Amino acid sequence: MTVQNLRNSPEIEVENLEISYGSVRTVGPISFSVTSGQQLTLLGPSGCGKTTTLRALAGLERPSGGDIRIGGRTMYSSAEGVNLPAEQRGLSMVFQSYAIWPHMTVYENVAFGLRVRRKSAAEIEEKVRGALDLVQMAKFADRHASQLSGGQQQRVALARACAFSPSVLLFDEPLSNLDAKLRADMRIELRELQHRLGVTSVYVTHDLEEALAMSDQIIVMRGGHIEQSGSPGEIYNFPRTDFVADFVGSSNLIRGRTRPDLAADGLIALETDAGHVIHGVAHGRRTAADAVMSVRTVHLRLDETSPPGKLNVWPVTVKRAVFLGDLTQVHLDWGGKELVVRRTALDGLAEGQQAFLSVDPQRCVLLESA
Amino acid sequence: MSVQTMPAQALSALRLRLPPLTTQTFVGLAVAIVTAAVVLYPIYYLIQASLDVGDPDVRPPTAYGFDNFALLPDYWEILLNTLVVSFAATVMALVFGFLTAWILNRTEVPLRRTLEQAMAVPYYVTPLLGAFAWSLLGAPESGLINQAWRAMGGQEALIDITSPYGIAWVMALFEGSVAFVMIGAVMKSMDPSLEEAAQVMGAGRWRTMLRVTLPLVAPGVLGAAIFVFAEMLGSFSAALVLGTPSRFYVITTAMFQLVSQYPPRIPLAAAMGVSLFAVMFVMLFFYRRLISRGSYVTVSGKAFRPRLMDVGPLRWVLFAVCIAYVLLSVVLPILTLVSVSLQKVTALVPSAANFTFEHYRTALGLNAVRYAMTNSLMLGAATATIGVLVTGLLSWLIYRSRLPGSGVIEYIVMFPQSVPRLVFAFGMMWAWLVFPIPIYGTLWVLLIAYLTVFLPLGVRTISSVMLQLDKSLEECGEVCGASWGYRIRRITMPLLRPGLLAAWLLLFIASVRELGASILLMGPNSKVLTPAIVEAWFATSSELTAAMALIQTFVVGIAMAIFIALTRRASQLGGA
Repeated sequence: MTVQNLRNSPEIEVENLEISYGSVRTVGPISFSVTSGQQLTLLGPSGCGKTTTLRALAGLERPSGGDIRIGGRTMYSSAEGVNLPAEQRGLSMVFQSYAIWPHMTVYENVAFGLRVRRKSAAEIEEKVRGALDLVQMAKFADRHASQLSGGQQQRVALARACAFSPSVLLFDEPLSNLDAKLRADMRIELRELQHRLGVTSVYVTHDLEEALAMSDQIIVMRGGHIEQSGSPGEIYNFPRTDFVADFVGSSNLIRGRTRPDLAADGLIALETDAGHVIHGVAHGRRTAADAVMSVRTVHLRLDETSPPGKLNVWPVTVKRAVFLGDLTQVHLDWGGKELVVRRTALDGLAEGQQAFLSVDPQRCVLLESA
Repeated sequence: MSVQTMPAQALSALRLRLPPLTTQTFVGLAVAIVTAAVVLYPIYYLIQASLDVGDPDVRPPTAYGFDNFALLPDYWEILLNTLVVSFAATVMALVFGFLTAWILNRTEVPLRRTLEQAMAVPYYVTPLLGAFAWSLLGAPESGLINQAWRAMGGQEALIDITSPYGIAWVMALFEGSVAFVMIGAVMKSMDPSLEEAAQVMGAGRWRTMLRVTLPLVAPGVLGAAIFVFAEMLGSFSAALVLGTPSRFYVITTAMFQLVSQYPPRIPLAAAMGVSLFAVMFVMLFFYRRLISRGSYVTVSGKAFRPRLMDVGPLRWVLFAVCIAYVLLSVVLPILTLVSVSLQKVTALVPSAANFTFEHYRTALGLNAVRYAMTNSLMLGAATATIGVLVTGLLSWLIYRSRLPGSGVIEYIVMFPQSVPRLVFAFGMMWAWLVFPIPIYGTLWVLLIAYLTVFLPLGVRTISSVMLQLDKSLEECGEVCGASWGYRIRRITMPLLRPGLLAAWLLLFIASVRELGASILLMGPNSKVLTPAIVEAWFATSSELTAAMALIQTFVVGIAMAIFIALTRRASQLGGA
């Protein structure tokens, strides 16, 4: 096996994983894999099964069916009757509550995994210092957890998780307890750290920006199932279903009948009940007679004069404009249907004003029909 | 897997359903099975004895039937007594509890914190000491209060503590403080914004109280009422001390009488015990249902800072109510016992001529007392130490392990709560009498009895701390690769330290002062202190008994102080 092969081989493989509580199945069956050194994010609203899936990977939750293989070792297999306990899986995890042990110092917290592995005193010292340096917490080594702020505890949890050089790191919403500003900083730091360590990681969050900023691959989950998986760009630009379109950033969903007769230049056309025709891309999806398109609110343009071009231009009436700071959110009446546009333009559009709405057909994405 | 035969697959499927046999599973299962055996074995014998209608001198029973239960209606007077006393005591306990809980949690009464701590003291005084003291204060002829009443020109007796309501009064004062704790918890957990919302909508103070506050605390108060009533049904010591001399029996004291008289009527006593146990079991079942469904106030589980009501000058009246409660339940009883124990012959007004240390000298000089004291302290330390280990492990199994069947373990462990200790000891008496290893009549049977009846106490104390600990603290150790034993030693135990220490103390105090089980199970060669004190009360002078009771209280206090000092020292050393 060449080095190249090794790097691209899947580190984590999950096949037909199912998790049930009693007779209620909360997750699955789901299958996915994570390539060595990559970060996968499980994204979804609360109760979608993302944390349960992560805990099953860690060995903290007992699945009811399927297979989990990590680094070529079988961690769980219902067919073979294998279920390794968490302490034998050799993974590492950052918990939502950080789980910093209050009866130990920062140093002892970070050294725990190394002590469990019976490393020499010199190696423990070296690795703990290294890990604390990595998160810039070296000067707090002798403090107790109760003397740390939330952000500092977060860093210690991270240092503890990487100190014993695990090959796989699991993150359970590690940033959700931090304030917005700190969260934005930590997002970037975590991403850099993950690259530097080259560790394979699985990250759970309900925060879209976090997922987009940090992942190589995103899996959007809903009701225990995978709704869509792909790169951040793929997920954002080409949502597969109305759920993904709605959850991953705000979208306008436009319903209509397909008009194959108007399709041209590789575009498809939809006619709404109000008679508006909108052109968009199918992205390889099957077109049914009735279909839905997703258009992001930031991709819609509003002009006071008619823009050049013929496709996807409509006259509209402004119903309401809401100032949000970075953006202004404008609600439009588009032939009886309300559309939302978010724009950075400074010109204040007054209520009742006439304007022209336009959108690049490449930004109008056909959703898979149910 | 090299051999893929059908049996191998069936085996692996089976292995998946059963947890793998690790240290954790093995220890867990072992503890659970032993606990179940120790709890259920005596109950089996209790029920067996109640159904025994054969020759009373032959065991195992030669014939079974319900005749013993059929005899119960003949003792309707005892059943009525039990109901009257328990009901009166519950009502009094709820009135005290509600009033004090409301005053201390919701009004700006002076010295709120201090008073709140003082409310826990009656529980430590115990119903037995309370019964001695109130007997000295309120007996119709010799009671100090009645003497004072006659000295002031009153006729007859002002109060009669040996009447059903007198007994209920003592039970309510010393066993009812649990009502204060339970109702107080409900009032503490109430979101003040619920009341503020009513006020903002224009409801006045009284309307808010009637339409919002009361309905919100009602489920909690109802829960407390059921719990307290069940406790009172099984209450023993107050009725024993105050009722027995005038042949006033409740069900527990009647059982004790039937067992200790000659010839004993064991099957009848067993039938009474089973009936009592059945009633309490049903009541506690409803209590659990009520609690688990969650009264509306406690759902959020958040701790709120209750809004204090400005009551103006009325607060001095409320303050007086609290002080009166503390006086009646702590100060007056203790002062009475101290005063009586220091007099040659009890008199209303102590005088120098009457003063003596003789009773203390006698009590400490009696070999029997010294022997019983040593036994009690040894048993207390052993029960506390073993109990903390066992209940700690059980709490972990019930609330933290992912073992199947942990709910069943919880049920078994909490089972002794619905059996009065006297009834439990009764079953144990028979169980260990036929046990192949001869431990009946030794301290061992007392140790087993204490460990069993105090299981709920230990588990409740430790689990209340355990449930406050974030689960991920342990899970993190698990993911870090630490084995079960290592996790328990390095993470769970240090974090649980306050809970474990509290449980040790509570188990020690409870064992040293245990009466209901000890009085039936102790043998001539395994005397313990509390039953010895009760014997002294009936056989010797009240002055001597008061001295003995105070010595016991004092020794328990010293032992507690030493324990606290030692653990504080150890934790300072450990922290360095």
